[in-house]
Amino acid sequence: MHSIWAVAANTIKQALRMKIAAAFIILLMVLLPVMSVLMTGDGTLKGRLQSFVSYGLSLTSFLLCLLTIIISIYSVTTDIEQRQIYTVITKPIRRSHFLLGKLLGVILLDVGLLVLFAGIIYAITICIPVFLGKVLGVILLGEASLVLFGAIIYAITIHVRFLWKALGVTFLSLALLGMVSFLVYKIAIYTPDLTLITESELAEANNEFFTARAGLTPGKVDVGQEVEETYEKLKKTGQIEVFFPGLSARDIRAQLTVQEKLRKRAVPVGRRLVWKFDNVKPTDPNGSLFIRFKYEVSVNPPDMKVYGQWLVGDLRPILYGTKIETPIFRSDRIDGDLVRTFHEIEVPAQVVAKDHYLGVVFINVPLNDTVVIFPLEDGLEVLYKADTFTGNYIRAVLLILFRLIFLASLGILASTFLSFPVAMLLCLVLFVIASFSVFFVGTFDYLSLGVGTLYSYSFKWIIRLLPQFDTYNPNKFLVPGRFIGWFLVGKAAGFMVCIKAFLLFVLALVIFSFREIAKIVV
Amino acid sequence: MEYAVETFSLTKIFSGWWGRGKVYAVDELNLQIRYNEVFGLLGPNGSGKTTALKMLLGLLFPTKGRALCLGGDGADPKINARIGFLPEESYLYKYLSARETLDFYGRLFALPTKVRRMRTEALLEMVGLKAVANRAVGTFSKGMARRIGLAQALINDPDLLILDEPTTGLDPIGTRQIKDLILKLAQRGKTILLCSHLLADVEDVCDRIAILYGGRIQTQGQVKDLLQQSNKRQITTDAISDAAVEKIKRIVHDERADCVVTSPMDKLETFFIKTVEAAQQQAQPTSGAVSTTQIGGFLAKEVPVENILDKLISAPVSAESSPGSETTEPVVPAESSGPQPDEQLLSRLAEPTKPTEPKGVVSEEEAGTESVEPESGREQESPKSILESLTDRPKTEHEDKEQTGDNQGEPGNA
Repeated sequence: MHSIWAVAANTIKQALRMKIAAAFIILLMVLLPVMSVLMTGDGTLKGRLQSFVSYGLSLTSFLLCLLTIIISIYSVTTDIEQRQIYTVITKPIRRSHFLLGKLLGVILLDVGLLVLFAGIIYAITICIPVFLGKVLGVILLGEASLVLFGAIIYAITIHVRFLWKALGVTFLSLALLGMVSFLVYKIAIYTPDLTLITESELAEANNEFFTARAGLTPGKVDVGQEVEETYEKLKKTGQIEVFFPGLSARDIRAQLTVQEKLRKRAVPVGRRLVWKFDNVKPTDPNGSLFIRFKYEVSVNPPDMKVYGQWLVGDLRPILYGTKIETPIFRSDRIDGDLVRTFHEIEVPAQVVAKDHYLGVVFINVPLNDTVVIFPLEDGLEVLYKADTFTGNYIRAVLLILFRLIFLASLGILASTFLSFPVAMLLCLVLFVIASFSVFFVGTFDYLSLGVGTLYSYSFKWIIRLLPQFDTYNPNKFLVPGRFIGWFLVGKAAGFMVCIKAFLLFVLALVIFSFREIAKIVV
Repeated sequence: MEYAVETFSLTKIFSGWWGRGKVYAVDELNLQIRYNEVFGLLGPNGSGKTTALKMLLGLLFPTKGRALCLGGDGADPKINARIGFLPEESYLYKYLSARETLDFYGRLFALPTKVRRMRTEALLEMVGLKAVANRAVGTFSKGMARRIGLAQALINDPDLLILDEPTTGLDPIGTRQIKDLILKLAQRGKTILLCSHLLADVEDVCDRIAILYGGRIQTQGQVKDLLQQSNKRQITTDAISDAAVEKIKRIVHDERADCVVTSPMDKLETFFIKTVEAAQQQAQPTSGAVSTTQIGGFLAKEVPVENILDKLISAPVSAESSPGSETTEPVVPAESSGPQPDEQLLSRLAEPTKPTEPKGVVSEEEAGTESVEPESGREQESPKSILESLTDRPKTEHEDKEQTGDNQGEPGNA
């Protein structure tokens, strides 16, 4: 155990003192505060918060991923190439302990940096609504002091033995930050977006951003039968070749399925569409529910707005003529809602029935003069508050950490049998694939209609073996204020860390214990 | 367990891509190194010395055969805990300071904090880097790095010390110190495997040597047996009158033998050390390693303080070494015989209780010469004889006149 810690501590020192980490740390230290002022989103408070958190976390995550790859590879390959490993591995330390120490060092460094930067982003996010309406200088001062705090910690970590150097670095960073803050202040002062926050903006931010809402989407509709019927009908009447020239039966069915599903989500003028949700369990019965929706239209209205009427509540009593027990909420949306944009209706949580049933009805009023369609993926959702923003944020950071742990294992595996540049290339390629796995899988699935088996038995499995960073992308949840469940976090931990990272590391151990450490010198 | 290091037809074949271009780096090597022996592995560049060492330590895997260190596998952590290893170059972490470097290696041995600190300080003092202990190792000169490398090999007070070219990059004082240290450690019951192509170094300290060429042992045996010229005698005297010399010459002549009389010369090494010591006494500033006369500091200091080391030191050693302490009074002028300063240092080292002071050393130049003489005699002639044995000529063929360690008795003449 001693030796593992010794190697881990040495790895951290290496990363900090060889100034690999420094570049990334300084970059983030400067960029995060600047971003907090310059990122205005759509101009509203919510937009500003969303864009800052999403860009801030993405940048932090991306840079830390790069840093993890670089450090994990660098620290093992330089030990081998510059042969410090000769003196280390001949001490009473097992080879597995050596690698474990390296991994632990990289992970500890990641945890430290992640806590630091996630903390800065969190603090700035919390500060924005408090200070935005007031004096700009206050925000800047707050941010600058945060950054300064980080810089001091960094300086002390590196030069803990030399007080004068630590002081020098601190002083320099102070001067640098003063200059940066001044510059940012100058830029910000001429940025017109910095207006006072209105009450409604604050409410919007609180409801839709500073929260962690769980979402319910309508269950999947099975349209298999309808598709078959249509297909057979078309075939009988000989219209297949007319509508779908040159397509295979499988492709035609796929297209028909989409059509059929859309038809179920389309509301002609004067008609209504009903969704039924079971299992709606808001944490606070006196709180609010939110109906989040997006309109798509067949014909663009002149003002690009749809005037719908919404009913939310337990609608069964009306249907069956029994006694109404819970209130039914009605919203007329007389101002209209822009098409192809998300809107939310706040509904008191009391409308949910005792057996957790909830009905939602949309009525397409004749005023619209167009068919209204709710897009398949994100057309309608029922949201309710499940946790606080802070809890959600912590889970989001955990998701990033899992990703870093995976990359650290990957880097160490690569460096047990590859030289620095080759290992870097390999890891970066895998990192990119893992980051865009959904895109890759989608693209190749489409291609594979032609390429076929070769793809599905080779490349597809490689992608499957990699973790899906984009599936567990925390921004997907934080920006719309979505609840990141512990189930999701557990799943990410299980797949990325316990299985994939672990397997990679075991493989690294096997390779490392069977390779000759010394270079061949005759 | 009879041998500290034993190899059984140890073979290493390096082959190129796809098995082409086979090279026998080490070929059927059978080494036996006894406990408490200083063993020198010699050979020209590329003769397989380092490869052999790496196989001993598990850095390379033998193609065939087996190597045992201290009765076990050299890659086993339990065995490693008792081995000190100095690779052919000091491969150190550039960003660590000298003190942190030793601390790091101490941690790998799981030494308790107190012991680790104590040993770190003692070793820093011993290798003369205490003044620059907080400087990053990356800024050190090669010799200074070598000193740290040596210090890290000693931090666990090893039973078996494996040194690969320990003196490369060191100044003469450092070289002398390492040689003294090796002798001192051997006295304390350590086994030392030394690997070098600097013959003078090996000759000074080794009990036994093996000469490697093309991965095979060409010859091996006791240094004394290999090098002693049984057909020669050597007499060293104080300054005596020419008449007395004539008398001696006559006696020798009566024995039907030849005889050359000269005044012994100082070795350049001795002269160099004296000069530097004088400069040190004048407290001249240097940015390099300092307090170089202090080899003994480590052992003499550490012995009384450290229990672990105490236990490790065998009783007879301390008994043996204590008489040496009397020899510290100056008796003869320093110029009279070559190797005294080291001898004197040695005797000081041997004294376990007395802490050494860096400055006092120069004034107390003299020491008992008798124990050093065989060594110094060999020192003179070593390059020749070893080279010859390397070329397969029997070592007894060549002769020399003077063995007291002077440069004058032309080493080659027959």
